[in-house]
Amino acid sequence: MAWLKVWIGAIFEVMWVIGLKHADDMWSWAGTAVAIFVSFYLLIMAGKELPVGTSYAVFVGLGTTGTILSEIILFGEPIQWMKILLIGILLVGVIGLKMVTKESERKGAEQ
Amino acid sequence: MAWFWLILAGLFEMIGVTMINVLHKQQNWLSLVLLIGGFGSSFLFLTLAMETLSMSTAYAIWTGIGATGAAVVGMVFYEEPAEWKRLGFIILVIGSTVGLKLVA
Repeated sequence: MAWLKVWIGAIFEVMWVIGLKHADDMWSWAGTAVAIFVSFYLLIMAGKELPVGTSYAVFVGLGTTGTILSEIILFGEPIQWMKILLIGILLVGVIGLKMVTKESERKGAEQ
Repeated sequence: MAWFWLILAGLFEMIGVTMINVLHKQQNWLSLVLLIGGFGSSFLFLTLAMETLSMSTAYAIWTGIGATGAAVVGMVFYEEPAEWKRLGFIILVIGSTVGLKLVA
């Protein structure tokens, strides 16, 4: 559940990064502000259950991935193999962190 | 001067993230104000750095300092787990994030 907060937080991070770049009227700026609030709220709440350093790395990493993918899909940025490769490496790290974190939580519960 | 602003931005990002730990330990207004102040100043200094540095370089280094610093502070001062597997995966995530910001 805590990881879900980090992932949804990252989606809102993508929204406000796009907002900061493209917002041009009152409503899009208001939406950007709401997205900033929601993303940080979820990150802070996830920190109750997950190590903050780990969750922040995942939050920033997935946010960056989402931003790059949305630039390719929504704004016609070129696809570069380097980007795909780096996203692949990043996802390995994110999945790995999820696995080791679950493990250490379970160990903690057994003790 | 831009590099000075950039390093300062990274340090304040570290402070912002660390305040999440502080906030969970002592739920008071001061922790919340320091959290918002930390991230707020961080963005301000990042904007100053971006006046001369390219956006991708500035973003990459800012993220690198902030995320690495936050992980190290968490492990050293807040007893966050630091087994070698976790260190490896954190390095993968932060390294590829910095790479993506440089490429973009």
